[in-house]
Amino acid sequence: MDEIVEFRKATKEFRGNAAVRDVDFTLRRGEVHALLGENGAGKSTLTKVLAGLYPLTSGDMLLDGKPVNFSSPAEAMKHGIAMVFQETNLVPSMNVAQNIFLGDEGFFNRLRGVNIRAQQHLQRLNFHVEPTALVSTLGAAKKQMVEIARAVHHKARIFIFDEPTATLTPEEKQHFFALVERLKGEGASVIFISHALEEALSIADRISVLRDGALIVTGDASDFTREKIVQAMVGRQLTATLYGDDAARRVARSPGEKVLALENVSMGKAVRSATLSVFAGQITGLFGLVGAGRTEMMKIAAGVLKRDVFHGGRIKLRGETVRFRVPRQAVRRGVAYITEDRKLDGLFDTMGVAQNVFLGKLAKGSNPVSLIGMSEARRQSAEWIEAMKVRSIGGDARVVELSGGNQQKVVIAKSLIQEPSLIIFDEPTRGVDVGAIAEIHRMIEKLADAGAAVVVISSYLPEILNLSDRILVARQGRIVEEMTIDEASEEKIMYAAVH
Amino acid sequence: MSEATANPGPRLPTLLKSQEGIVLALAVLAFALFSFLLPSFFSAGNLLALVRSVSILGILALGMALVVIARGIDVSLIATMVVSVSWAFVIARSGYSLEFALLIGALFAITAGVLIGSLIAFGEVAPIFATLAAGSVIYGLGRTFFFTLEMQNVPPGAGWFSLIGKGRVLGVPVTVVAFAALCLVLHLVLSRTRFGWQIYAMGNNPAAAKITGIAYRPMVVAQYAISALIAYGAGLILASSASAINARLFNSTMIYDILLVVVLGGIGLNGGHGKVRNVILGTVFVGILLNGMTIMNIDYTIQNLVKGVVLLLAIVIDSLVNPRDEQTSQQGDL
Repeated sequence: MDEIVEFRKATKEFRGNAAVRDVDFTLRRGEVHALLGENGAGKSTLTKVLAGLYPLTSGDMLLDGKPVNFSSPAEAMKHGIAMVFQETNLVPSMNVAQNIFLGDEGFFNRLRGVNIRAQQHLQRLNFHVEPTALVSTLGAAKKQMVEIARAVHHKARIFIFDEPTATLTPEEKQHFFALVERLKGEGASVIFISHALEEALSIADRISVLRDGALIVTGDASDFTREKIVQAMVGRQLTATLYGDDAARRVARSPGEKVLALENVSMGKAVRSATLSVFAGQITGLFGLVGAGRTEMMKIAAGVLKRDVFHGGRIKLRGETVRFRVPRQAVRRGVAYITEDRKLDGLFDTMGVAQNVFLGKLAKGSNPVSLIGMSEARRQSAEWIEAMKVRSIGGDARVVELSGGNQQKVVIAKSLIQEPSLIIFDEPTRGVDVGAIAEIHRMIEKLADAGAAVVVISSYLPEILNLSDRILVARQGRIVEEMTIDEASEEKIMYAAVH
Repeated sequence: MSEATANPGPRLPTLLKSQEGIVLALAVLAFALFSFLLPSFFSAGNLLALVRSVSILGILALGMALVVIARGIDVSLIATMVVSVSWAFVIARSGYSLEFALLIGALFAITAGVLIGSLIAFGEVAPIFATLAAGSVIYGLGRTFFFTLEMQNVPPGAGWFSLIGKGRVLGVPVTVVAFAALCLVLHLVLSRTRFGWQIYAMGNNPAAAKITGIAYRPMVVAQYAISALIAYGAGLILASSASAINARLFNSTMIYDILLVVVLGGIGLNGGHGKVRNVILGTVFVGILLNGMTIMNIDYTIQNLVKGVVLLLAIVIDSLVNPRDEQTSQQGDL
């Protein structure tokens, strides 16, 4: 088979640190190539070089056997390379048709004409997206379809998908896989970056695993197993300790005092009369598909979102009815909500680790003129930085420069320093590497053992099964199923979540 | 990193790697140039006049900086300044004691700041619009109900008041002392208090600041109240040194000069960073520039042109010498 893309000794350095080092990588015509590795392994960097976002520091990139060096994404696009990002790059305030033809409009445009052309284009691809719909009203899967339609319109023949399935529901995932098959059928090549190993195993023709910027192994997908991939990714055998077999697990913790109770809580369309309880001394897993309203339920409990003024239901904290209007009120009552999107509302990203953590402590206090300083911040936050095992390049590194796992640990430490008694983890291990996942899980367990009420929201079933003592399943804004860990199985939870 | 510490040579290049460094270099250059070219520039009298004239600008810029660091902006500063001071003078002239009148002026400034802050914090109006509109409202109210004359002279019979603008402490004008003192206070507040740290947090990531439990809305109100009070203070010094306050200042380019000082000094308008020394640096540079050009008798319009060009240059050089590092913005999702 002929190679369409080839990297030879490709190296990309950032400030002298190699993110990708001496990588020899090939992409064949008409294949789906899965690129796997921990966070920070260099997957995104390698593909971003191909997409023209970064130049190579050294080494060669060959397209159709000819050396190329793209100076901009537009140039890569001209050569038929399209990258579909994790966060889609669409203009939310324009409609689908306008987005498809973005950058390729005529001098004069008639909206109706553009809509009709887009309609034809989408039909040819067999995408069920309304061309006149505003992009901001679309779900994640539809947005991805629009991106792909745009790429196809620009005559792309190499598609790079960066974590395409992370935000999709199982149903949407099936759509996506069918789409990848079709692109392949039409002779396009696909690079597929993912954390979901099963997906990679089922969809890819070939698999490459990167670790610390180096290519560890590459080969036909049929030669790989889950264990083999994980071993290549982490360079050590971690499979058993992480997401090990659930059956061999400890006994469930017994519930303590009822800490939080939601009674018929409602908010718009996201939460509809949700009722649930959370108990001290155990971990309550909250599972639901995207759009089930689980994040919103917990955000209401923590004062981040406001519930409906009328018929909003009741929230009880330790038996006392509360109504938090701002997060501060909840924080001062010992409720911590640890965000699912650390970049959006978790981190103070140009500040250092100690400052970030210390701000958690400051936020809970009340005297505004109390004197503080960097040494004070370092001293007070040291305990939690240590407990969370945050590893950073030097003590004062800005948190943007840390890996995803370490950033997540900082966000957690920032909340734990407030000594909360009810801790809500929203997708605690999203975008976190395998090593850090284990450490974060251990910390969550420790909190429950120490008597805190812990809620873990997750859309990853093995994580829910591995951590929870009690499992709640959300669907369409309400809790539809409650079970203990002994009764739970993947099938049972999924059945409740989708039905 | 190791190269930089091993070799003491590249001190200058590292200095030039920040906007701060560039502005400092430009300031030194301008100072040297003016001293060399203009004999009247490098004289004790002129230098003192220079520092004194920019002190008021500097004080106002300190108020602005506080708000800008927390990702806000306050373009109502001048309106608050002229109206509160003018009104205080009118009250004093109508028979009340000057001290009482000044107290009323201060209360007016604080009230204005609190209302603007509430509009932003609770009404969730964007700071630029809230303060732009509030500035017009304050000025309009003042001119309609509180005073009609543009020029308000300092009320007679208050010897101590004129000392603020004209007096000296150990040979240093009180104006300069006031600027220095406020710099010190604000520096301590920003770097040493819980309030200050939370200001940085709010500017850095407002959403995270809220979720972490910072009293976000009271903090916003406090910022605008403080900046309004600082503006009032600057107005008193200005009135004292000129023996009058001119409400026309509201229509001048003063507010843009303040923003010039803040941005040129290196306090990003997107918040979260910047220190008092950036304000001092910006103030000194703008001061040298304005003073030099005034001595050279350059036309006012040309002066504005030069200010604009300098601002553009500073921003362009900054982005050339110090390109946004691809890695720092991307690392999290590698």
